[in-house]
Amino acid sequence: MSATNCNEFLNQLEQWMEGERSADARAHLRTCADCRHIVEDLDSIHETARVIGATETAPSEQLWASLCVQLEHEGLIHTQQRHWTQAVAEWFEGVFSVVPRPALAGAYLVALVGIGLALAVPGYRRFNWGGNSTRLSARLNRAELDTIAMVESDPAVTASLEKNLAIVDNYIALCEKSVQEDPESEIARDYLYDAYQQKADLLAQMSERGAGQ
Amino acid sequence: MTAQLGPSVRIHRSWKTASMLVPGLLLITAAPTLADRIERRFKVEAHPVVTIHNPTGAVVIRAWTKSEVMVVAKRATDRVEVDAEQNANRVEISTRQILDNASPQDLRADFEISVPEDTELQIHNDSGGVSVSNVLGDMNVETIGANVALEDAAGYLTVKTVDGGFQCSRCAGRIEASSISGNFRFADTRSYHVRAQTSEGNIFFSGEFFPNGIYQLKNYSGVIEVRFSPGDSFDISATSLKGKVNNEAKLTPSSHHHSFRGVGNALFGSMNTGRAKVELSSFNGTINILKRD
Repeated sequence: MSATNCNEFLNQLEQWMEGERSADARAHLRTCADCRHIVEDLDSIHETARVIGATETAPSEQLWASLCVQLEHEGLIHTQQRHWTQAVAEWFEGVFSVVPRPALAGAYLVALVGIGLALAVPGYRRFNWGGNSTRLSARLNRAELDTIAMVESDPAVTASLEKNLAIVDNYIALCEKSVQEDPESEIARDYLYDAYQQKADLLAQMSERGAGQ
Repeated sequence: MTAQLGPSVRIHRSWKTASMLVPGLLLITAAPTLADRIERRFKVEAHPVVTIHNPTGAVVIRAWTKSEVMVVAKRATDRVEVDAEQNANRVEISTRQILDNASPQDLRADFEISVPEDTELQIHNDSGGVSVSNVLGDMNVETIGANVALEDAAGYLTVKTVDGGFQCSRCAGRIEASSISGNFRFADTRSYHVRAQTSEGNIFFSGEFFPNGIYQLKNYSGVIEVRFSPGDSFDISATSLKGKVNNEAKLTPSSHHHSFRGVGNALFGSMNTGRAKVELSSFNGTINILKRD
């Protein structure tokens, strides 16, 4: 039986993804399907990011700067009392630092929601992720502010994007309320993460337009 | 092979012809606002790929029997350029702004494109509209506000809009559609796999339910309406967390479903032998399961 439990393993996840793999962590992963799934998901995202990096074109400094500001605002570079999800977010930053930056806009947001979706899987719930949707929502809101500032396309298209962003925000608010009222409702949670995914997709579309100007 | 449709290579310009017929002064005044017509043809082999990136304007694509792609473009002004390139069996068509101070309408370009029926299409169109008929290859269409209309399409069809509507008539193959506020209409559908999700839009589905087919329709609000015939065979789950489910189908209890905690209005059951799988889901919209007229 491994000496490392799930929470301890998840706290070492960033090191694991960087290749620093202790014997205890290896032993835990052999016996824990839930943690193995998380690692597999992150490996998959890493691979996807690598492929995107091989195909995308030149970066947008504006976009990268915006995302850096966002990451700094979120305190992701702080090392004290970090939640393991923050460590993973830092790992993402490392992964995406080798990816051409325009790909980062969509990839970062989609990966962010990917973490949220992974955490929504019933098997992961015992990891005390209750505050995760709030953090996810806050990050998407910050990304929204940065993204809207970047968009300078056809006014009608911009208006359409903003109108639909408001629709998704309203949808998120109502779903969050439903989840708060009944935290065990799988359907409400499913709709909430759908809404986050839609918002991430929409922001990625908007930032691509902003970066392409 | 690369062919840029710049001023030197354009095959046909209707305004140029017109310039010989009208006084020069009038032409100078009118030229920037007159549409011109550009036509290009590309020889292709089986299963060509055609990509179209046209932010503003209509894109109309039809299949024909020739082994070539014909592109006819009409520019609103000379502030927008139309490019077309062929690389092996791939034809790439796009528009780009070439002069500053252009309004969105100045940048409009409308396309009529003829392609072999086995063509794979990749289309990006923010506003304007996309219409495709009789093309049997895979298709990926992304728009913001542009409506998408597919007729007699097959292959793997993926359509993504923000608030553009999507209408698919007599579509076969696999269909995946997503939108935020666009309405979806699937009429006379012959697909074995339909997955459609829109947040604020309505979804209408009428067509065949194939054995082992999967039909997943989901929205947040709005109406989901599915039309069935008495002979159809499907297993159905219809759930609206805060809305209503109205059903005209005679269903037998299904052994494949279990109750979910937190479900508002839900209906589970089988019609005939339950050979297809139908999943309808809404947050606070209405789900109607109605007999086909």
